[in-house]
Amino acid sequence: MKRVLLAATLLVLTAAGLSAQDLASFEKRTHTRTLANGLTVIILERHDAPVFSYATIVNTGSAQEVPGITGLAHMFEHMAFKGSDRVGTTDWATEQKALARVEETYAAYDRARRAETNRDEAKVAELEKAWKDAIDEADKYQKGDEFSEVVDRAGGVGMNAFTASDITGYFFSMPSNQFELWAYLESERFRQPVFRQFYKERDVVMEERRMRTESSPFGRLFEQFLATAFIAHPYGFSGVGWPSDLQTFSATDAAAFAKKYYVPSNMVVAIAGDVNPTEAWPLIEKYFGRLPAAPKPEPLRTTEPKQISERTVTLRETAQPIYLEGYHRPAATHPDSATYDVISMLMSSGRTSRLYRSLVRDKKIAAAAAGFNGFPGEKYPNLFTFYGVTTPGHTPEEIAAAIAAEVERIKTEDVPAAELQSVKTRVKAGLLRQLANNSGLALQLAEAQTLYGDWRELFRSVERIDKVTAADIKRVANATFTPQNRTVGKIESVAQTTAKTTQGGAK
Amino acid sequence: MKRLASIAAALLIASSAMAQATHYRDIKAQPLRKFSMPQPKRVVLANGMVIFLQEDHELPLINARATIRGGERNVAADKAGLVSIYTQSWRTGGTTDRTGDQLDEFLEARAARVETGGDTDSTVVTMDVLKADFDTVFPIWLDVLRNPAFREDKITLAKTQANTGISRRNDEVGSIVSREATKLGYGPDSPYARQPEYATIASITRDDLLAFHKRTVHPNNIIVALIGDFDSAQMEKRLRDTFGSWARGPQVEKPELPAYAPKPGVYAIAKDDVTQANIAMVHPGIQRNNPDYHAVQVMNEIFSGGFSGRLMQRLRSQRGLTYGVGGGIGANWDNPGLFRVQMATKSGTTHESIEALRGEVTALTNSPVTPTELALAKESILNAFIFSMDTRAKALNQQVLLEFYGFPADYFTRYPAEIQKVTAEDVQRVAKQYVHPDRLAVLVVGKEADFERPLSTLGTVTPIDITIPSPDAPKAGAAPAAGNAEGVALVNKVADFIGGKAKLEAMTSLRRSASLSTPQGEIPIEAFVQFPSSIRTEMKTPMGSMVRVVTPTAAFMVLPNGAQDMPGSMKEQSLTELKTDMFTVLRNIGNPKYTFTAGATEKVGDVDARILDINADGANARWYVELATGRVVRTVTRGAQGEMTADFSDWKTFGGINIPTKSTLSQNGQQAATVTLSNAEVNAAADANTFVKP
Repeated sequence: MKRVLLAATLLVLTAAGLSAQDLASFEKRTHTRTLANGLTVIILERHDAPVFSYATIVNTGSAQEVPGITGLAHMFEHMAFKGSDRVGTTDWATEQKALARVEETYAAYDRARRAETNRDEAKVAELEKAWKDAIDEADKYQKGDEFSEVVDRAGGVGMNAFTASDITGYFFSMPSNQFELWAYLESERFRQPVFRQFYKERDVVMEERRMRTESSPFGRLFEQFLATAFIAHPYGFSGVGWPSDLQTFSATDAAAFAKKYYVPSNMVVAIAGDVNPTEAWPLIEKYFGRLPAAPKPEPLRTTEPKQISERTVTLRETAQPIYLEGYHRPAATHPDSATYDVISMLMSSGRTSRLYRSLVRDKKIAAAAAGFNGFPGEKYPNLFTFYGVTTPGHTPEEIAAAIAAEVERIKTEDVPAAELQSVKTRVKAGLLRQLANNSGLALQLAEAQTLYGDWRELFRSVERIDKVTAADIKRVANATFTPQNRTVGKIESVAQTTAKTTQGGAK
Repeated sequence: MKRLASIAAALLIASSAMAQATHYRDIKAQPLRKFSMPQPKRVVLANGMVIFLQEDHELPLINARATIRGGERNVAADKAGLVSIYTQSWRTGGTTDRTGDQLDEFLEARAARVETGGDTDSTVVTMDVLKADFDTVFPIWLDVLRNPAFREDKITLAKTQANTGISRRNDEVGSIVSREATKLGYGPDSPYARQPEYATIASITRDDLLAFHKRTVHPNNIIVALIGDFDSAQMEKRLRDTFGSWARGPQVEKPELPAYAPKPGVYAIAKDDVTQANIAMVHPGIQRNNPDYHAVQVMNEIFSGGFSGRLMQRLRSQRGLTYGVGGGIGANWDNPGLFRVQMATKSGTTHESIEALRGEVTALTNSPVTPTELALAKESILNAFIFSMDTRAKALNQQVLLEFYGFPADYFTRYPAEIQKVTAEDVQRVAKQYVHPDRLAVLVVGKEADFERPLSTLGTVTPIDITIPSPDAPKAGAAPAAGNAEGVALVNKVADFIGGKAKLEAMTSLRRSASLSTPQGEIPIEAFVQFPSSIRTEMKTPMGSMVRVVTPTAAFMVLPNGAQDMPGSMKEQSLTELKTDMFTVLRNIGNPKYTFTAGATEKVGDVDARILDINADGANARWYVELATGRVVRTVTRGAQGEMTADFSDWKTFGGINIPTKSTLSQNGQQAATVTLSNAEVNAAADANTFVKP
């Protein structure tokens, strides 16, 4: 496998200026191991400065949710900063009992308040009080910010995490003398996550939803657009969660979700920087080896059915207009994926791109216009999405017509060889430019390993793009860009009138 | 329910069988290995250009960046947005030899980038190229730097883009709160805060862009930085050959920005399509060269560092009020930053959050920092220090920054020792000195109907109108009305008090000598006005003489270190001052560009005065006129420094013209100086050199 990779990518990348030696050195500096519990760990050595970055990628995202627990993958991500039975507590034995009491009282309160008939308000109030009292009691034993404090104190920077449709990622960077501390903390947060301050943090996440989705015209449009484009697959669910679910699910739900999906065989940890593998492996075995082995979660059952008619969602807003159109396309692992990548580049990359030249430069109807893959994810069949941001006085309809004209060209005319070559050259150089940044590398290696089962796909994807022909582009464009496969989303501007109603949560 | 609880308990129980007894407290880190990042080589050419060369052989890439002094702060307010039009069309407008579109084709086919950009302080021309293409792309970078064509079609495109930005600036609540809080903090006219408008964008011409290029792009204003896979000695020779013969040009200076402080209080912006209120609190911050800078950094870390700072812990983790909250004392490199706190919370907890934020700000100033907090903050900063120099590119960028703002090259090296020195007392002291809960301008953007109670329960609320002026609306400050007859009558009464219309019209020049009494001491000042529109002022400050000259054709300053052109914003300000000068106004009664509106009557001291609003060719002034006599008792103007008020208490006649001899000046309600006139001469002759740049 390794040799095949080298032979093929050498040919491709040396054209972009990377010497054979550089690439061989990259592979030589990259070490991969799968621990006995199933966890895959990648170490990339870069010894320039005494620092390292890491990324933990869990092969689980909001696509693993079902109605009732939407938003839970993201909620767990927040909880992964709250510590364990050893980090974040002043008295675990007591806190543990208090937290169990919180769950018990919450379950009672939640059932009562959601009663569909004969809701007993007095009883609900009483149960709510019992729940809140239990929270206050549990709070006495928590040091919920201890995890963050230890990282900050040790000089950790850029500590954060994200939850996408496909994956959840955790990352930060540390001085290299803190490797053991890092190995302890990063394994500890997944070994025994404790759901302390869960309901406060649920409020925080609700604020995040209000900020990103409810209070932003684009946020509102993206949520509605995906819900329209996907009728069966969870890509159509709100990633941050529907407000009702967000205000209902419990720590018990989160624990069950973690037990199912946060298992070592479903996770990859990649480290890039000043790390010596001979010293690092024993520490990784010691600490990450503590994660209990468990079977890989069952693959998702639902596949989005073939779209049979065009769909449109229009938001009438006081904001300026925007236009989106999405077309269903296969998953990233599909052989045509490279062709979709090339179409995206041709349409969107740089000032020579077709949409820039037509919509931005010549027609001046858009301030920005592009077509991109992987919305909202790429592990499962997803959307190729075009968009245009109108300039003053122009409408979504003008954007739609101008995009349609460019789509027609790509369906009917061969892409000139020089244009195709320019795109391929930029893809190679783009990869090269990503190779000198610890945190970017850690994330990319871990993501490639998660999605494809091999980090080398980072390089192979370039090789596949190099093979895409003008005929491939026409074929894929004709198969994809059809009216019955299209979902349109747009914002139309209306003058400010009375206050709009928004989706729940404010009270 | 029992079952649920037992599941929960089971899940929460430590899987002790697997766990080893290790705790992070038992892990002892070795000291970090000794490390210093290679520093770039600094080369200074005879023409003043500074070059930094940083070798980095990891990948076959070369990056270059020319940083050029002069940015939006060197642009007049009526051309706000010029730098964005300039830097967009600089690259897209091509060079004298090639169009921008040709450059696009050539560069993208080589996966190379040559781009232009800029901000308030500087502009940049960058290059990012594969080593193998350096020889073909380097000449293009140079050509863009020196020979831009600013073709009209790309200026139009840049203007379309800028107008799109203007049209969309009120769509997202986050951008509204950031922008308007900045305007509150720096003042709406500050180049660090002001916004381009359709009118300012429309007024920008190709000549303006060429002029800005001509004014700024000279070797003595440029820092060139290269990083990548090259040999420094060879590269140095190449750059010397390339740039060595380029002649010096005028130096770009940093404009003097007037000090500004917002009026404390509550400001509100209505935004109905949101479920959150966005809250910001601002007042002036400090400058980077402040000796307390490092103590302030420690204070900031305690207040809002990472996830473990007070704001995140107390407002987010403990109370669940917000997703994002942050703040601290800002320090700009060569001008004061802002103290700023910002957060978003659901509409129903707006007041609760304002109170909580105020509480945290106040706590900074009046409750002690604990030893634990101090230790955590200092260790966090010191242990993370390595990340400020963990790549060759960062080391290079730091040197460019220090060079640009005139800081010593070892500034960052000394940083850890300075942090180490900071004590709890230092933190307490700087908090008291630089954080002022009573001076905060508090901005709330959101849907007030959903707040717990009206904002007015917090006191007087100043609404901020963020309506975007339409492209063809009159410029802000233009005459709102044609004035009224009473206004004309009132201004004529003032003219009579001063000496009559005939005398005013016969006046061609006015020389005044006065003494300015300020908290810093007495400053002699001499002002010479050649009507209608030339003015020279000379102040004899303790640092030496400062001359400012503005004429229809020139605007310059003569300072102890030499003469230099006046920054556009300052010229603009001087012209506005001249337009609203009392004698200029009185000489323009009857000029259709000057309108006069009489308003209400108010007491000024014990004088019954009628308000006279004047629109002087786009600039506004308000006079308070004593009803009985036509004497002006107070004038109020608005300029870059905010509101300037002059109260006149004594008058004397010189050459038939009644001139105030004693005035008190206040800035934003704070008394700033008194002016005592010692002599005035009407129709004094100008020296041959009065308006000539030395």
